[in-house]
Amino acid sequence: MPTVTIPAALRPQVDGLSEITVAGASVGELLLKLKDQYPAFGAKLYKADGALNRFVNVYVNNEDIRFMDDLDTQVTDRDEVAIIPAIAGG
Amino acid sequence: MAITPHTIDQSTLPPELARYHRQMLLPGFGIEGQKKLMSSTALVVGCGALGTVIVNMLARAGVGHIVVVDRDFIEMTNLQRQILFDEQDVKDAIPKAEAAKRKIAQINSQVKVTAIVDDVNHTNIEKLAGIGNDAYGKVDIIVDGVDNFETRYIANDCAVKHGIPYVYGGSVGTVGAAYAILPHTAPLGTGETVWEKAGLATPCLRCIYEQAPPPGVNPTCDTAGVIGPAVSIVSNYQVAEALKILTGNLDRLSRTMLSFDLWENTFRQLKVQKAYDVAECVCCKGRQFEFLDGMFGSSTTTLCGRNAVQITPKAGEKAQMNFDEIATRLRGMGTVTANKFMLRADIVDQGNPYELTVFSDGRAIVRGTKEANVARSVYAKYIGG
Repeated sequence: MPTVTIPAALRPQVDGLSEITVAGASVGELLLKLKDQYPAFGAKLYKADGALNRFVNVYVNNEDIRFMDDLDTQVTDRDEVAIIPAIAGG
Repeated sequence: MAITPHTIDQSTLPPELARYHRQMLLPGFGIEGQKKLMSSTALVVGCGALGTVIVNMLARAGVGHIVVVDRDFIEMTNLQRQILFDEQDVKDAIPKAEAAKRKIAQINSQVKVTAIVDDVNHTNIEKLAGIGNDAYGKVDIIVDGVDNFETRYIANDCAVKHGIPYVYGGSVGTVGAAYAILPHTAPLGTGETVWEKAGLATPCLRCIYEQAPPPGVNPTCDTAGVIGPAVSIVSNYQVAEALKILTGNLDRLSRTMLSFDLWENTFRQLKVQKAYDVAECVCCKGRQFEFLDGMFGSSTTTLCGRNAVQITPKAGEKAQMNFDEIATRLRGMGTVTANKFMLRADIVDQGNPYELTVFSDGRAIVRGTKEANVARSVYAKYIGG
């Protein structure tokens, strides 16, 4: 199953996990499963209309899904999906 | 004329160049690159954890003129990671920009530092970048050392509008990100900047992150903490990119965004270059500078992890504060200290203690609340509206 990397900012919403292995054929499927499993995580990731929040980017093997097929981007067991939010501190 | 870097003989160099011998040995650097650095002006926005490293390294490398802007003063908890400051600065209540200038004078007296103690906002960023500024011309680069996205978008807008390279960096906890931007100033293929002509323009910050994380979504310094190495990696990476830009090595810039988490041992090079084609960016494609135009500007800012609110007078309302007068007025209410940069007063208002710090331009930081209204009220009561 593909692995989803959870950023530090969102780990409190997923029981502190930094990586979660989840079954699914597309990025959208993976994230919806995580949303169902961790509703508080979903609330941070998605806008009310079901789209992803725009201060969060999702990468598959370091490529932004917006430049591929967005949430329909297909993933295999060997792919690494990373959620990376904008980093504001400094 | 091309210079073969590794043949530079230190003994033949004039003293003002000799100190830079080691970096001049690098391919693509040389005496020529060093001279470019020495005639460059860099705007460093923010002089905290990122900014102190950036100013320090740019000055040591010999960037001729560094304009450093920061609104804040130094606290003991800054010293863990803000490398230009020391305990004496805390005791003396020196503003960060001014303390940085004093340290740089000792580190590299060849470098001119312009220290500006001010908030960076949409009303002043262009002037700080040298646009319509009598004191200096358009800066060669903007390097980001700020702690919030609003100011970053303001800097990004300014960079895109005026064709100034901009190096983003951000860090909190054990994570960090950095990315150098060579902005598009015109539709693809028509821009007049060196980098557009060379086909090297990059997506801007808003291409990559359309919106800032709203307050409360991301961890702040107080919820997540921060370690020195995280900010140090980000800021030194920013400086490396800045040196490439200022020496004219634009083709050596990273085309990816660095993103890492030291606690998870992950280092990524995020591929961001397609963002310009895909994102329909309102800023660099649309040429709408929403942050620069003040559409999203605010005059109060809740400060990260400080239980404090900053109040910035609107443009045109800035006045030189008379500290003697204010000190006299406040002395009966609590401890008041002042120097030429700022006045600080401990005040109890409606049973709640506040620390009020007022800067000479009328800007203030009210500590003891995260509520803008409360801060405005304290400001209005004790300083005046």
